[in-house]
Amino acid sequence: MLRAENLRAGYGGGDAVRGISIEVAEGSCVALVGANGAGKSTLAKALCGLVTPRGGKVFFCDKEITGLPASDVARRGLCLCPEGRRVFGPLSVEENLLLGAYPRLSSFGPFRRAASGDLQRIYAMFPRLGERRMQQAGSLSGGEQQMLAIGRVLMARPRLVVLDEPSMGLAPVVVKEVFEAIRSLHASGMTILLSEQFAKIALALSDHAYIIERGSVVLEGASKGLAKNPAVVAAYLG
Amino acid sequence: MDAKYLALAQMAVGGGLMGMAYALVAYGFQLTHAAGKAVNFGQGELVMLGAFAGISLSGIGLPYWLSVSGAMVVGALLGWFVERIAVRLALQQRNEGWILLTIIVGLFCVSLVENIWGREDRPFPTPWPAGALDFFGISVTWPELAIAAGALSIMTLVELAKRYTMVGIAVQAVSADPDAAELCGIRSRSAISLSWAVSGAAAAFAGTVIGPVTTVGPTMAAALTLKAFSVAVVAGLDSGFGLVIAGVALGAAENLSGYLLGSGWREAPGLILLILALALRPQGIFGKKIIRKV
Repeated sequence: MLRAENLRAGYGGGDAVRGISIEVAEGSCVALVGANGAGKSTLAKALCGLVTPRGGKVFFCDKEITGLPASDVARRGLCLCPEGRRVFGPLSVEENLLLGAYPRLSSFGPFRRAASGDLQRIYAMFPRLGERRMQQAGSLSGGEQQMLAIGRVLMARPRLVVLDEPSMGLAPVVVKEVFEAIRSLHASGMTILLSEQFAKIALALSDHAYIIERGSVVLEGASKGLAKNPAVVAAYLG
Repeated sequence: MDAKYLALAQMAVGGGLMGMAYALVAYGFQLTHAAGKAVNFGQGELVMLGAFAGISLSGIGLPYWLSVSGAMVVGALLGWFVERIAVRLALQQRNEGWILLTIIVGLFCVSLVENIWGREDRPFPTPWPAGALDFFGISVTWPELAIAAGALSIMTLVELAKRYTMVGIAVQAVSADPDAAELCGIRSRSAISLSWAVSGAAAAFAGTVIGPVTTVGPTMAAALTLKAFSVAVVAGLDSGFGLVIAGVALGAAENLSGYLLGSGWREAPGLILLILALALRPQGIFGKKIIRKV
């Protein structure tokens, strides 16, 4: 469904992503595992158009999307839930969610009614967002903001969700909750690309994984196998 | 009431009503700054061009409201144009060249106006009744009331649109976080263009309501940009309510200093306010503290 070929990307001088090829099959959950600074986030941004690749190609649903602006990539159904959550702090929880469905909603019409079905679905998934729907997103706790960011990306009715570091900066108990949500999302058939430095959870959750070091894929394979690989255990699970 | 105080009050009220126009022009600064982190230093020239467009449209026989709407369309197009040709490229290259470029576009507009309409000041025709209204001995003319009513309704309309339409919410999202907005499928550039168009329309509208009070000429532009900039800086670039207060205060202060100290001092309060604001409270009296990320 999503395929990157020999992708290179970066900021300023050097490349943070040095020729990475990955593939995500429909309905699967694929993990990108690696330390902070390995290039996972740059890869996620390059796939979704937030960073223009310096080389290589990206295909989504058999069409090339290399270099398209992020808004166009999102409109095609490849949606990124960015690192650091990036909720719209001054806007309300509900407005944040509505913005997730922006391309689908009419600009001036009764957009709240048009999106009410999707909103109910998200509030059922994350009841705390429903309780706080009129609250400013910036006033939520980190965990709630992460749920809002996931809810916002789901409002787009994506065909593939890229989740970039969903556990970053969260308390362990909240991390568990967030990954529970991701697991049930995967169970419901959503295609997921998960970038995560917390290797143990990422490998437990995903079907397939790529281990990324210094901008390149150093290992790949079925997640179950990788979790038993001595090199991976030593470097990431020890 | 003592005749002297009455005259002072009269000056303050007249200036304050004019100050609503400064607030409206400054509001244009806020709109483009919120969306794209840049302002048009040729905003006063847009005010002037709006006024001239309005005069010409009523000159060819259009009714008042159509002339005003036409002037706003011209202003919107110009605002959009300035962003496209002067601001976008400079900001993409992360340099501050847009400041100079917007000033240059403004200067170009002044020459254009002098060539098309000439250098003389002109009256702006309005349908308002000629007389003045009397409030406790203070007289207020209809064109002055039109400034206040017009400025308030434009600002209210835009604020309502920002809160209650999906486009408005999207523009707010772009000002909060353009990348995250892109990820929602919002085209950040279109949202920024829209803000510049609305800002230009507001400036042109300000021209059509200021015109009947001050007459319209090529020299009105530079002073207006500076005054509106003072208002925006004093109020802070994120407080709509502060703009109205600061605009009214500046308008009143100008008239009073002109009356008490002589007409040469009319422009002084704006400059003093600007200097004080920049020195003492750069985020504005009503603004939130700016946290610069490293």
